[in-house]
Amino acid sequence: MDFAWTDEQQAFRQKLKDFLAENLPDDWEKFSEHGPASPALTKFAREFCAKLAENGMLFPHWPVEMGGEGLGPWEQQILAEEMWIAGEPRGGQYMNVNWIGPTLEKYGSEEQKTRYLKPITDGATLWCQGFSEPDAGSDLASLRTRAELSDGNYVINGQKIWTSYAGLADTCFLLTRTSDDRKRGITILLVPMDTPGITVRQIPSLIGEGDIHEVFFDDVTVPESARLGEEGQAWEIIAYSLRNERLGIPRFYLARAALDRAVAMLQERNDFSGEIVRAEASRCAALCEAARTASYAIVQKRVDGLQVGSESSSARFATVMCERAVCEFVVEFVPEALAGASPYLKMHHQRGIVAGVAAGAAEIQLNIIASEVLELPREPR
Amino acid sequence: MQLSLNEDQTQILDFIDSLSKPYSTVPMHDTSLALTSEELDRELVENGFLDVMAMEELGAVTAALVVEKLARLPFAIEAAASALVRPIIDPELPRPLCLVEEGKTAGPIRFLRPGATVVVVGESGVRSFTADEGMIAAAQDDTLYAYPVAFLKDLPAELRSHDVSAEDVLRQWRTALAAEAAGQLAAALESVKTYVSERKQFGRPLATFQALRHRLAEAQVATNGVYWMALKAAGTGDAGDAAMAALLAQEAAKRVGYDYHQLMGAMGMTLEHPMHLWTYRLKLLTAELGGRGRHALAAADALWN
Repeated sequence: MDFAWTDEQQAFRQKLKDFLAENLPDDWEKFSEHGPASPALTKFAREFCAKLAENGMLFPHWPVEMGGEGLGPWEQQILAEEMWIAGEPRGGQYMNVNWIGPTLEKYGSEEQKTRYLKPITDGATLWCQGFSEPDAGSDLASLRTRAELSDGNYVINGQKIWTSYAGLADTCFLLTRTSDDRKRGITILLVPMDTPGITVRQIPSLIGEGDIHEVFFDDVTVPESARLGEEGQAWEIIAYSLRNERLGIPRFYLARAALDRAVAMLQERNDFSGEIVRAEASRCAALCEAARTASYAIVQKRVDGLQVGSESSSARFATVMCERAVCEFVVEFVPEALAGASPYLKMHHQRGIVAGVAAGAAEIQLNIIASEVLELPREPR
Repeated sequence: MQLSLNEDQTQILDFIDSLSKPYSTVPMHDTSLALTSEELDRELVENGFLDVMAMEELGAVTAALVVEKLARLPFAIEAAASALVRPIIDPELPRPLCLVEEGKTAGPIRFLRPGATVVVVGESGVRSFTADEGMIAAAQDDTLYAYPVAFLKDLPAELRSHDVSAEDVLRQWRTALAAEAAGQLAAALESVKTYVSERKQFGRPLATFQALRHRLAEAQVATNGVYWMALKAAGTGDAGDAAMAALLAQEAAKRVGYDYHQLMGAMGMTLEHPMHLWTYRLKLLTAELGGRGRHALAAADALWN
């Protein structure tokens, strides 16, 4: 067991840091206050991701046969960490390289691969994830947006909500209901967002402009060839996607960086000598490190070629706890940070408060841990 | 970064499993407040399990793994100090090893008995002596802590100095504390899990109620965090990692010490169930080195000056 990065891994991290230093504008910190889904950052990300692509840093973790460099899960982790603490200059495109691309490669038709993979690898396209609905959040399998096959076309009617990036996305990775079977009745359609009948309404949010939307589908018609995989295969495909994205965003890494910033601000004004503030800062750091090591244990399983299962829920819950602790620390000891004194800490806060909700609620993670890690008898349904 | 167990580590943990098998459950009808076994102790020493830290290819992480594994047993074994701290002081020091802070020698001391090596750590450096009968006051018979404990009446006039810094010993001590707590946390979780999965109320197992499930799931997250941070602290030898590991260990211990007994209801109040063997050891560990606040301050010193 070795908790140190290898020379190659350190060099890879440095290469990313150098690239970021060279390619992010001087006012980047202030600029990144625009949320990752904001028009400003989305526009920036299109140029930035293209540059990443030119330099082999957009999808180096993809297998060589997909045009990547075949680097391993550790490099994917390092890439995610460096981008995320830099304020995620890839905007929503991080989803493309983490799971949309690999999922299209595995399940997509030749036509779909030709159409969608190149814009992804060029760093030129944005996707959104049409999953949640007004009555289907944590209980995703109860979704009701209907897709009826008729004369070689799917006609889609329904509504999605809390959809990130929908306002500016080119394509939606859409979950639809094609039959009444709870899980086996769900089908994925790849839907261009400029298809007639789609209406997007932005919902003002605490987490930044352009981040949350309602998306309405009124007789939206796409050809049968827009279906990813078979009818009813969505649940299996999503499970595969999640295997590529099991840990999600390395939030513990930004939380720790934000904590260090907050401490630096306190030190600057000679306000970091009290035992209470010092102990509380350490508690936050310890939670960040616990989340980090628990997450790294999952990355190691991927490196070893082992199936990653429910234990990733444990790492994710640990991450939620550290995000929460750091957000609360900043508000308690550096309240001015969220009122203009630190764009970086405000950026962290706005992204951090989502941790327990986005990509599977914290309580769902606890349910998974209870059932699958602890193997407790199931709750009655 | 390489976080999977190597072959040697897997083998050592397997050996410990088979060696400790006869000690993996509480002897029938035994309702002791603390369980110890001279035989188990001897077998561990004879097989070199407490000396793995100094062995090539094994090192401190393996020692932490051994400590964590042994702490899962219902029998209290003086392994943490011997396996993780003794090697940096003097690998030849006779066991059991009792670590005490200078100026704070009045509390109950784990494993203290005549012949034990007492290591005093503090401003005067790292010093030790061999305890004799006259220096020791027995604790009351029904002490709850599930460790054999005793008190030091006073220190001898002469202590032997060791050529190692108090900081280094404190760091290893924190790592040892976290590794030991990690094992106890894991065993206690396993034990409560079995109970609530079997015990039925309202016609179904207690474990099917979400109010319990979430508390246990959160305990799993905390336990997992202590495990990994203890190993990391052992691996990096970093003072900040060690202090954070100890802090998390004591926070987790405080929480489960209450929760697990609560979730077991009246059964958790009896000595017929072995839960107390882990939780009451954990309770004494929460006092070690001044408790959470002290580790937190030590971590702050290491992380930010």
